[in-house]
Amino acid sequence: MDASNVSINTKSSGAFKRQAFKDQITGILFTLPALLIILIFGIFPIGYSIYMSLFNWQVTKGAFIGDKNYLLIFGSWWNLLVLVTGIALFILGFYVWNRAFQSMKNGHRLAHIIGALVLILGGVIFVTGWGMMYETGNKDFLNSLIVTVYYALGTVPAEIVLGLVLAYILYQDIIGKEVFRIIYFLPYITPSISTAVVFQIIFSSRETSLANRLIGLFGADPLKWRFEPKPVLNLLGLDVSGLAGGPSLALLTIILYGIWSFVGYNTVIFLSGLGNIPKEIYEAAEIDGGSKWDRFWHITVPMISPVTFYLTLIGFIGTFKAFNHIYVMRTTSAQNTVVTTSLLVFDRFYKANQYGVATAQAIVLFAIILGLTLAQNKIMGERVFYG
Amino acid sequence: MDNTAAINTTKVKKKSSPLSHFFGRAILYLILLVGAVIFIFPFFWMISNSLMSLGETITRQLLPKVPQWINYKEAWEQANFSKYFVNSVLVTLGTLAGLLLTSILAGYAFGRIDFKGKNFLFGIFLATMMIPESVTLIPNYLLIRGTIIPLPGGTWINTYWALTVPFMANAFSIFLLRQFFAQIPKELWDAARIDGCDHMRFLIQVVMPISKAPIMTVLLFGFTASWNAFQWPLLVTTRDTWRPLMVGLYGFVQEAGPYTHWLMAGAVITIIPILVVYFLTQKQFTQGIATTGLKG
Repeated sequence: MDASNVSINTKSSGAFKRQAFKDQITGILFTLPALLIILIFGIFPIGYSIYMSLFNWQVTKGAFIGDKNYLLIFGSWWNLLVLVTGIALFILGFYVWNRAFQSMKNGHRLAHIIGALVLILGGVIFVTGWGMMYETGNKDFLNSLIVTVYYALGTVPAEIVLGLVLAYILYQDIIGKEVFRIIYFLPYITPSISTAVVFQIIFSSRETSLANRLIGLFGADPLKWRFEPKPVLNLLGLDVSGLAGGPSLALLTIILYGIWSFVGYNTVIFLSGLGNIPKEIYEAAEIDGGSKWDRFWHITVPMISPVTFYLTLIGFIGTFKAFNHIYVMRTTSAQNTVVTTSLLVFDRFYKANQYGVATAQAIVLFAIILGLTLAQNKIMGERVFYG
Repeated sequence: MDNTAAINTTKVKKKSSPLSHFFGRAILYLILLVGAVIFIFPFFWMISNSLMSLGETITRQLLPKVPQWINYKEAWEQANFSKYFVNSVLVTLGTLAGLLLTSILAGYAFGRIDFKGKNFLFGIFLATMMIPESVTLIPNYLLIRGTIIPLPGGTWINTYWALTVPFMANAFSIFLLRQFFAQIPKELWDAARIDGCDHMRFLIQVVMPISKAPIMTVLLFGFTASWNAFQWPLLVTTRDTWRPLMVGLYGFVQEAGPYTHWLMAGAVITIIPILVVYFLTQKQFTQGIATTGLKG
């Protein structure tokens, strides 16, 4: 018995080794074409960008200037250090609030007090650092970050909520489900240049533009939409101005476009996620007498949370990458209120030919995206319910 | 008295439940319909404006009195669309051919072959999904211009290669196919191997025929990405030789500013191929998304 087993094993292990060797070769050969392209056009450029950012590079390579391009952005490294310390304290405060001292009696209250203090401290230091940076650093770049954050906060949550609601409704027995799904996905799949041109016309500053006629129905005066650099809150009568006052009306029209074009993607992904939730859970809840709303809130939302997490991440990264439709819909009269960081980098490079400055800004943008991804992984990853 | 009241309430409850059910359904359909109208409307507006006379686009009726089909001909000629259209088709076809080849092979390797360094490589591939174009754009431009390393032909600016080669592989497509390929039962491969099948033959004869849905998904996403590409082509085409439709349309928007009817006709023209492909593939495509996972 033993002997025969061994002999079979050695026999097959010889064949196994040959197969393993073949597998090794085939695996590498199969991945090679993709690897070459991704290495050359996806990975190499990151290293080369860092290299370029250290030079006074305008169309052609100039002198080595070390961290000068970065200093142009931050003003000084000290500013950056203060800012990052603020963020670090903020994260620490959040951590303490949530977890620390859990084993202690009354630990929660203690953790909340300490956590809140650290959070506030972190916030104050962050704001100070930002103020210092704004004073001596590159205002255009910092403004573009604010615009990008407005754009992200204006689009991603709305896309998630609308996408989930539409998917949840479609998931009930709906007649014409397929048709609705096809329609919702259309804006995502069609060229953004072409559809952004339509939004240009709908939100033009003409009195007869569709947007103006629509608000005219409610007795409102015509607005300048894409051409309006004033914050939305200002137009609503609040006394705010500048970028600190929230997104401009021009940015809001771009946000509307963003939501319109992306909700369908979320809907389709949510829909396939809903299909993966076991029906038994719903049936059990029905027997227990939960209302429809309860079931949505206590079953669907937690069970779908990995998808929500994925879509939030994709959404945020997407807003930091967004370019085409903003490039088409922006107007000179909207000034810097619609210039997101990706547009700013492109302008520095394409119009101003300051390659060194542009690559430094791009690297900082990349670092921010990396940081956001990690933070989101940490914060949301813990709350996500993996069935 | 008490009794009848009790009976009454139970009656009411029984009666109201199908009624409230009906209203509940009605509200659901209402939300879906409002959504559909909002999603469709810009397309409707595009088409309706594309058939208006210039005067009508300014007064903004909902529909043209007499459809001006000639707008399409005029827009097509004015914007030099015949050139751009052919360019876009050729660029898209070339990119797709390359993309299919690289992602099917790599997806198969990552999904079904055990080899050293696989997880490391796959991790690197996935990481590239986060990289913003802003970072890769400038070095890639220099690369294509022939500044960093000498290229065959000196520079690739205004060439077919500049528009196709960089997009012939992406992490998303590989990931999508890998997810699907990995789910194929191992028994199939064991049986095939006993019959003397190697990986390549197994891939072509067994795996690909049962993977139509995810391959279609990759094709559709690849098609739209290539057809809709704007930033990169804007950068690497300075002449009409290989300039694609989207850059052409953007140029037309700059020139034809106030001529809404032509603009809209141009926009419709650029969208039609996408719509055709989408409607033809959408069933397999949604299946592809559903089966390839992103699962909960």
